[in-house]
Amino acid sequence: MKPFITQSTSEVLRLVRNPFFLLFSVLMPIIFYSIFAMLNGTDSAIDSTTWGAYSLMSMTAFSLIGTAAGQFGIRLAYERKDGLLKLMMLTPLSMSAWVSAKITAHLLVHLLIIAVMFGYSAIVFGTEMLAEQWVMCGLWLLIGSMPFLALGILLGTIRNTDAATAVSNLVYMGLSILGGLWMPLSTFPSWMQKFGAWLPSHVYANTSWSIVAGATADWQDVLVLLGYGVLFIMGALFVLSRSENA
Amino acid sequence: MGLIVFDRVEKKYGNREALRGLSVTFPRGKVTALLGPNGAGKTTAVSILLGLSKATKGTVRVGELQAGDRALRERMGAMLQETPAADGLRVREMLQLFRGYYREPLPLDQLLVISGLEQKANRRASSLSGGEKRRLAFALAMAGNPEIIVLDEPTNGMDVESRMRFWDVIKVYAIQGKTILFTTHYLEEADAVADHIAVIAEGHLIAEGTPQSLKSAFPMRKITFRMAGDGIMEQKLLALPCVMDVKMNGHQVELFSEDTDRLLPLLLKSGIPITDIQVHAAKLDDVFQQLTRTYTENRGSIR
Repeated sequence: MKPFITQSTSEVLRLVRNPFFLLFSVLMPIIFYSIFAMLNGTDSAIDSTTWGAYSLMSMTAFSLIGTAAGQFGIRLAYERKDGLLKLMMLTPLSMSAWVSAKITAHLLVHLLIIAVMFGYSAIVFGTEMLAEQWVMCGLWLLIGSMPFLALGILLGTIRNTDAATAVSNLVYMGLSILGGLWMPLSTFPSWMQKFGAWLPSHVYANTSWSIVAGATADWQDVLVLLGYGVLFIMGALFVLSRSENA
Repeated sequence: MGLIVFDRVEKKYGNREALRGLSVTFPRGKVTALLGPNGAGKTTAVSILLGLSKATKGTVRVGELQAGDRALRERMGAMLQETPAADGLRVREMLQLFRGYYREPLPLDQLLVISGLEQKANRRASSLSGGEKRRLAFALAMAGNPEIIVLDEPTNGMDVESRMRFWDVIKVYAIQGKTILFTTHYLEEADAVADHIAVIAEGHLIAEGTPQSLKSAFPMRKITFRMAGDGIMEQKLLALPCVMDVKMNGHQVELFSEDTDRLLPLLLKSGIPITDIQVHAAKLDDVFQQLTRTYTENRGSIR
């Protein structure tokens, strides 16, 4: 148990000390949130809620997708390349303990991001929601970030680190924009709406939008996101088992 | 007594054969150098021993256990060629992290001393210089106080002072009775540190023994001279009696022979225009270069 805790703590430190973390996971979402909220007016209505609450969910989801899929994937690709992964395989620490420590560390950091984003919105923009809405949204965004960690593991199997970085950034930005996290899907042409509605980023954010709108979450969204998670994990396991035999 | 035993180990990467039936034994409590030119299969042998890759054929045993057995991880420490530094962690934090993996780790202070990183304990590992990262990698290898220490080209990237300090530390561990195996293509290192040298080329063992026995087994000397005039003389030189090998570098020529006394007069009479003639005892380096080259050309006919 102790190695697991030390490992998780180390992974948290590594994550939050990375300058890209502060920039992409914290500053960028906060700045974009502020811009969107101010441009549209925090109290103006959208989808039976306010822009202040709606885009808080969008930008928190954006931050978490970037942290989980983008930064996790890029880090894994680098650890494989520079030999840290190999070195870990020589120690008595099991592979599963190593992976679960990384995931635990990520979830802790995700929780921190959610707290910072929600706190910022409540304090600076005076966003108001029912207590259970805050809690439900926070919990959903945390749990729903797990399939994106699976996507990170899949992206982390890319051997070339430059390619891994480029693809991860492209995937996370692409998912965020096409999934309607920057601009609501309703502003897109209808074919893009149909496509975007099936993206993991959209079903992820859509559930939190439903919660802030006081509607019940759409179970189809939850199942689709779960399906993506399974798909990503299976993809990663497939690639890893293939490269092991090489 | 052999602690680590490679038995007819073959390893193929696609069509490339990295090991072609390597059989070699590393004695317990000794320092063994695995010596060979680049591409000889040293790193492949090490990664099979460490369980990082699997032999295509043959077995590698460590004591009673098969290489790659999880129980060995507590007993072995290794320094690989890559020098990873977990970005974001300080030297101290990284060492503590690794110490935490083992049941009986070495004290942190000791790890800092043997790696000479006492002054850098609070530096970010990723900000260390190349040589410092190598020393950190060594400290990480030693974190669990292993009885078997495996070092793949350990001094690559270290400056002269770090190298000397590194080998001094290794000698101390050798005296403590640890089994140490290192790969190198620097012969001087093998000569100065190892009790036992195993020479491999093209995935085979081609010679082994103590540094002394290897040296006396190959009493080579060399004649160096400058050739006046042009023309490809290599075949002509090789055709002379007792010439084992010829190295040409422009007009500068090195002739290797076991009997330079007999060769020299024949060389002078051969009519090849030469100046600036010198006779040297060949360095051990030359012996091994010659040895591996002859091996490559004759495919195993010498042994």
